[in-house]
Amino acid sequence: MKMSKKKIYISGMHSGQNPSAGVGIARCLRKAFPDLTLVGVDHWQGSSGLHDSSVDEAFLLPQWKQIDRKRHISQIHAILDEGNLWISALDVEVYWLAQNFGTHPNLICPSGSALKRTSKPHVEAFTHLGFEVPENISAYLSDNEVHSFLRQNAWQCWIKGPYHDAKRVTSWEVFQQARDKMQKDWKTTQLFVQKNMIGNEESICFAAHQGELISAVHMEKRLITPEGKTWAGRVTPVTSELFQGLKTTIRKLEWCGGGEIEYTRDPDGKKWVIECNPRFPAWIYGSALIGNNLPGRIVSKAWDLPLLESQSHYPFFTRVVQEIAAKETVGIPLPPDPSLTPWPVDGQKGKSGPSQSSFIPPLRDTMDFRGFDSEDEEFEPTPIRIPESVPQLYSDEVNSVTSDFSGETPSRIHLENWTMSRFQSLIDSVQQSKKRSPEIRIGYSVKTCPTDMHLAKARKSGFYTECISQMEVHRALRAGTPSNEIILNGPGKFWPLTTPPVMGLHMLFCDSFEEFDRVLEIPSISGCIGMRIRLPKLPSRFGIPVDEYENFERIIAGIKKLKGQAILGFHFHMPSWIIGVKRWKEAFQSILTWCEVVENLTHVPVQRLDFGGGFFPSDLEGLNFEWIQRSVHSALPKVEAIYFEPGRSLTQEGEILVSRVLSVRKSPKAKEVSEVVVDACVAELPLIQSYAHRIFYKPSEFSDSADACQIVEKGKTKVLGRICMESDILNTGIKLPDNIKIGDLIIFGDAGAYERSMSYDFGRG
Amino acid sequence: MISVADNLIRELLDSEEFYNRWIEHPTSSIIHHDQECCQHARLWFLSYARSMEGWSCSQFDLKAPVWLSQLFNWGPSIWPISWCQLVKEKTLDCGVFAALAQEILKAQGHQVHSGQCLLVYNDTCTNHWKDLWRTKMPRKEGRRSGDVFHWIGDQVVYHEVCIIELPDGSAKVYDSTFGGWYEPLERIGFGALLAIRSECPRLLRWGDKFLSCGEWVDL
Repeated sequence: MKMSKKKIYISGMHSGQNPSAGVGIARCLRKAFPDLTLVGVDHWQGSSGLHDSSVDEAFLLPQWKQIDRKRHISQIHAILDEGNLWISALDVEVYWLAQNFGTHPNLICPSGSALKRTSKPHVEAFTHLGFEVPENISAYLSDNEVHSFLRQNAWQCWIKGPYHDAKRVTSWEVFQQARDKMQKDWKTTQLFVQKNMIGNEESICFAAHQGELISAVHMEKRLITPEGKTWAGRVTPVTSELFQGLKTTIRKLEWCGGGEIEYTRDPDGKKWVIECNPRFPAWIYGSALIGNNLPGRIVSKAWDLPLLESQSHYPFFTRVVQEIAAKETVGIPLPPDPSLTPWPVDGQKGKSGPSQSSFIPPLRDTMDFRGFDSEDEEFEPTPIRIPESVPQLYSDEVNSVTSDFSGETPSRIHLENWTMSRFQSLIDSVQQSKKRSPEIRIGYSVKTCPTDMHLAKARKSGFYTECISQMEVHRALRAGTPSNEIILNGPGKFWPLTTPPVMGLHMLFCDSFEEFDRVLEIPSISGCIGMRIRLPKLPSRFGIPVDEYENFERIIAGIKKLKGQAILGFHFHMPSWIIGVKRWKEAFQSILTWCEVVENLTHVPVQRLDFGGGFFPSDLEGLNFEWIQRSVHSALPKVEAIYFEPGRSLTQEGEILVSRVLSVRKSPKAKEVSEVVVDACVAELPLIQSYAHRIFYKPSEFSDSADACQIVEKGKTKVLGRICMESDILNTGIKLPDNIKIGDLIIFGDAGAYERSMSYDFGRG
Repeated sequence: MISVADNLIRELLDSEEFYNRWIEHPTSSIIHHDQECCQHARLWFLSYARSMEGWSCSQFDLKAPVWLSQLFNWGPSIWPISWCQLVKEKTLDCGVFAALAQEILKAQGHQVHSGQCLLVYNDTCTNHWKDLWRTKMPRKEGRRSGDVFHWIGDQVVYHEVCIIELPDGSAKVYDSTFGGWYEPLERIGFGALLAIRSECPRLLRWGDKFLSCGEWVDL
């Protein structure tokens, strides 16, 4: 019996490892209404869902880039006006329809205003349902602010678009690449960075028609693919409380169609919203199998058709990979030329491996998405930039030292006032901490910036000196540091072997048991002797790993050998800028536990703790000395002093590198500068790609305009270094004036510390 | 009314030779020699746990020791086992896993208790496990094969877990061997939980079930 001559168009028939929901919706409708005519819609012949037996007809459209907007709109209008339904299962098509088409009684899609109220990151329409929003910031804040956010969150974040796409951020380099690519792909400036939330993934999937909530289910993901897609799940009804809350929201939004609120439930039970998908999820047939056919219920409502369902006793579903006969009427795409075969770069297998999936074009390549926020056909997003956060003192000094600069370039220039302010800030914090015990002491890290001037400043500030070799020890002695104010660390502390080791040091921390035994044989080498600890699961080549019980036993045995020869200390160093501030704090607490246990078992009191350096300037300033002192005192009451060994935090911002433009390259349209080559390179800035550097521009001294140097914002001009190495790219995109000339100055901030000490001569003849 | 499922479960259990030994078996604990050897080993283990729980889930109240199954393999281990012995082992059985997880969760400040389960598997699996236990069980002087606890039946096996008592009187059941959470769902089939016993001295709510101290509760 034919129920209706009307058809249901379902778009999004891609059925690969990141499937669209079209096949799931078609199977739901086929299960509910065996005689309905279902039309699968897609823009790519290779979307294998078009061959599924649930689909009666395939409606193949040209690729989005080839589609005439007006024709497409009128064609969809004609389909809908005939009484057919159109259910979109593509995020981006839903936005396209809202932007270009508007609403129609037979279009099963949410409206533009509903989409705006459910966009990421805040998904504001649903927050009253008990969802919390993970901490996030715009990806277009200053690089310093974004870098700081990533550090604070231990480099466990996501960069996301407002409607689609999300990429894991694990380093500064990954972030920069992802931001550039996503901005280009999605043509939006609404990218944001969000903290990753640990928890189990769940979702609320709902079906609504003309603002009326018809049904909703709760799905817990049980198996997840490497792409993060559901492979098995448990579907249960939502609570009546949630249903009522959702019902009110859906009415306010006048929502039509399917929707899915994806969230993470953390171990404490909090629900952290990930996003709201404005369409049914690809697993939707799993819900129908269990007894809640959401697409069926929408059609039942829209066309007043009866729908019978029975609940499954075991509310789980799973997926299988299945071969089906291809339909001749749809056809299979031609084979690609072998030369197009991508070489797997991700360590995957060859032709049959997952990287071959690049033959299946990702959504962004099949749709010419202009961004929901723009109605302009030629929309080309200009990054929105909040000006870099440059303190007045800093920018004044950069201006001052470059105002009449006429020297050779590249040239590193010291910022005395700013450096002094960094030292003073730390002196003040230490002074403040003296009200409490244990005492906070600072050991200036020689290797970071070993200039006479910096060593003298450290001495004047009352800091100890931290060295990693006998050569550095002698450097410190020559700079006026007495040996009993020197801390000796590192795996090569007795280098060079031709020099007798300096005796009477303040502290010495061993990197191995062998070294510890050797040190014990040198009487009076140091007033405090200890070991550097390597915590379990922290990637490091340094220190004694405590994750093997045998090592722990050796630590206990070794410390018992001290026998009053020196006082006992422990050292832990893992740069917080690499592992993230949050992890550093966890490591700090873990170290206290280990030291407490060692003290208990050896009856040798731990009297000194050294937590190393590796802090970014703002992270060291943000470190809560009071919390540290309280925590140490509570766990290890006999500790008399806690040491930090800053270098980077004191000196990184205190130098700039001035370079001159060697070449200016313009885009073919000659509208804007696409690239500049400067006379600096990665040899002077070896860490340029590892962290955010503030960059300034100043017209040359021979220029007509005598402008002061200006901080530059994000833009489209690449800054290339002078040497013939592919990796010599100093910035992937800044905004420089169109009239920039050869000889103008590009000034790199944050060029002190390791940018100085690790720089090398290259390409100088 | 007794359902078909209830009958099936009863039949399964009645056919198991060791059923009575399972339901009377005491839960596992780790021996402490009251000497330096075990003191060192236990403190090392708890310090290690403190480090491990910090990396992934430090912000949460309940930090399940999922890393245990990365530190140790599951398999036959000597019994009884002491702290000083287990830190030298690479392989532990479910009783030791459960006892270790309890130590960790207690150190985190949770109310945690021993739990025992009966689970359904097929005879292909149980035969493999019997072989594994027979061939890999560490040799101990004076031990005879009959001394090993027969946790493996034909289609039902005995398993040990942790029961976490939450402040609201409800329970969470943690499979410390494989790092997952059991659910109070009635099911028959591979890996299904048939019955559970809690050693919490208080009555605990677990889904629609109640766990009473020392009593086996059928699912």
